[in-house]
Amino acid sequence: MPNTAPLAPGGSPLDHVTASRRTLLRGLGAAALLGSAGVSLAACGDDKPSADPNAPVELSIFWWGGDARAKSTDAALALYTKAHPNVTFKKTWQANAGYYDKLATLTAGGNAPDIFQIDDGALSEYAERHQTLDLSAYKDSKKIDVSKFPPSLVQYGVVDGAFAGVPTGENTPGMIYDETAITALGLAVPTTGMSWEDLITWAEQVTTKSGGKLYGTMDPSADYKALWIWLRQQGKQLYDGKKLGCTADDVAKWFDLWKGARDRKAAPPADIIHTANAGDVTKQLVVTGKAATSFLWANQVTELAKATKNKLGVVAYPGDPSAQWARAAMYLSIYKGTKHADTAADVINFLVNSPDVGKLWGTDRGLSANTDVRAAVVPGLSDANAKASSDFETQLASKFGTAPAVPPKGHVKVRSLLITYAENVQYAKATSAAAADQFVNEANAAIAG
Amino acid sequence: MPPSLAEAVHPAEAPAVTRAPRRRPTTARRGEGLAGYVFLSPWLLGFLGITAIPMLFSLVLSFTDYELLDSWSDVKFVGFANYHKMFTADPHYWHSVGVTVRYALIAVPLKLAAALGVALLLRRDRRGNGTFRSLFYLPSLLGGSVALSLVWLAMFSRDGAFNAFLRLFGIEGKPWANDPDWALATLILLAVWQFGAPMVIFLAGLKQIPNEYYEAASVDGASRWRKFWHITMPMLSPVLFFNLVLEVIHGFQGFTGAFVLSGGTGGPVDSTLMYTLNLYLAGFTDFKMAYASAMAWVFLAVLGVLTAAIFSTGRFWVHYADGEEN
Repeated sequence: MPNTAPLAPGGSPLDHVTASRRTLLRGLGAAALLGSAGVSLAACGDDKPSADPNAPVELSIFWWGGDARAKSTDAALALYTKAHPNVTFKKTWQANAGYYDKLATLTAGGNAPDIFQIDDGALSEYAERHQTLDLSAYKDSKKIDVSKFPPSLVQYGVVDGAFAGVPTGENTPGMIYDETAITALGLAVPTTGMSWEDLITWAEQVTTKSGGKLYGTMDPSADYKALWIWLRQQGKQLYDGKKLGCTADDVAKWFDLWKGARDRKAAPPADIIHTANAGDVTKQLVVTGKAATSFLWANQVTELAKATKNKLGVVAYPGDPSAQWARAAMYLSIYKGTKHADTAADVINFLVNSPDVGKLWGTDRGLSANTDVRAAVVPGLSDANAKASSDFETQLASKFGTAPAVPPKGHVKVRSLLITYAENVQYAKATSAAAADQFVNEANAAIAG
Repeated sequence: MPPSLAEAVHPAEAPAVTRAPRRRPTTARRGEGLAGYVFLSPWLLGFLGITAIPMLFSLVLSFTDYELLDSWSDVKFVGFANYHKMFTADPHYWHSVGVTVRYALIAVPLKLAAALGVALLLRRDRRGNGTFRSLFYLPSLLGGSVALSLVWLAMFSRDGAFNAFLRLFGIEGKPWANDPDWALATLILLAVWQFGAPMVIFLAGLKQIPNEYYEAASVDGASRWRKFWHITMPMLSPVLFFNLVLEVIHGFQGFTGAFVLSGGTGGPVDSTLMYTLNLYLAGFTDFKMAYASAMAWVFLAVLGVLTAAIFSTGRFWVHYADGEEN
């Protein structure tokens, strides 16, 4: 045996080991007791609501985003701490993927952060289950001052009569196109107000002129924004309260419109569309060079521009632009179980109304919701793409239609169902009518249940 | 009561204990047993707190209508409603069962065959075989990693490396990973490629077979095929059995590849909607945690039955060299 340990002279070494083990165990036991006592003492300290406005408060705050957003958020929160030295922040942030899994798990365990970022896909899920604090009282007392916000934007934070999320900014869907590639083919760029049929005809030319290397347009049949706007242009809605605002016939017509576009080679084949359907910004066809247009949010042009050398432009989705509305790019909400509601509300008020924060954030969280801040921020935008998207939104603002209600609970499921059934048609696994039928049935069940 | 840790560590103490008066050993042994549990406690607490109690809790949840963000006061018991819905009213559920069974039925035998085949090639201690063993094991080290699945997606897309390779022979490939008819096959290939772990176990098993058997068979003029079939396979059957049980369980639990390749959707057109992925989506996208819990328990029961079934067939084909049946 290679490892022959030397025996201690005069007596077995094992006795020694046993004795020291007992001592060790006693020590461990005592340490464990002390440790748990320490934990419970610390826990007690946190629970006490303090009447003293200068008592130290640590607020947890959670958002999704990239490095740039982390930096500007850190800076904004540091400004608040500077003005209120007793308030510090426990900051957590991560990429978009997996954000809602974590938020849901934290919330289910009663450990949700005091302040969290949320969007209209999830706001109703949380608000309808009473996980967000109703901020109406703060709104009425102007402790969260929204008097400089466009009223429709404020309304877009209300779920079942409760002010559930404070919009940080405004955005609207935008069709983003590759200006460099289109002008190289000698074609005119798309314009706001062109009809869906115009777009498809134009896209067919792009495909032909590029010799099939560049498809004219992304097929947005799996994009709920596009379906929603298309429905609004016909006087319908995606949602009517807690059910769909459209019939299977409407959806079948929508699927058929794009089946036609694919048949005419205006849009790419199913597998290329599929790579973009999941919504990942870096995989959008306008930057992967597969198609000349992509259907996204107008403010995403800044992010997209980082993934391509070509110059990008943004116009409204096809059809009558009055079908678009000022949508809250994202909200800040307060967890129902927070122990520092007043402080958290004050922090949100600061973040959405301070011109200094507005300058730090730019258009990263949408075009500032406070129109005074917006007016101060927009001229100072250095990024050409950010400027283009805010110019686009400002121009479109006069044409915006009334905002619909915040999408109901189940919206996230409806979005993924639309992708599944639109792809069924794209891959020719189902007819438009059959896929639309199944979509409408399952979507209604998802919203109702 | 399990044997105390002290006994296992210090057999030298045992004789002293048996010679001592009768009253002492029981208290001493009790103390030692306690010490054993104390030493076990880091694992035991983790097992109870992170595995056992949440698992039992999920069994209770499966009979309720709990959704992830509901407050507990709204939760009602609904009996077997979740199970009933799963079996009778959820077409996606049965679709995911079909996808998973197809995946496991093809991936597990192919993976085991690849592992055994390569192990047979590498069993002799030739020069360089150590390197080859490491190289073949490498994919398993990366096993289940997200990065690997992303590489796979890039390789088997329309403009991927695999199609570029096919083009050398004038073959126009498909967008494999993004084609509903081929996406699952891409996943199966990913699973089979990671055959390193069972291969290493096969190698260890092959080393245990005494060379005398082969020598005796050679003297009797047995062909290589006969030697494989009549010496290698019976001698290796306990190892094969072990690998089979492990890989079947592993195969049914496939998640990462499907999750990454489909961007977390099970697409295109639900073609990679594996059981575990469907379960995850039910819990975290639809927030239907009670329903997801019910799915998890059915899954556990089916895997349990399947494993028991494999065990019960064991006595027909697994041979233990020490002559002890079962």
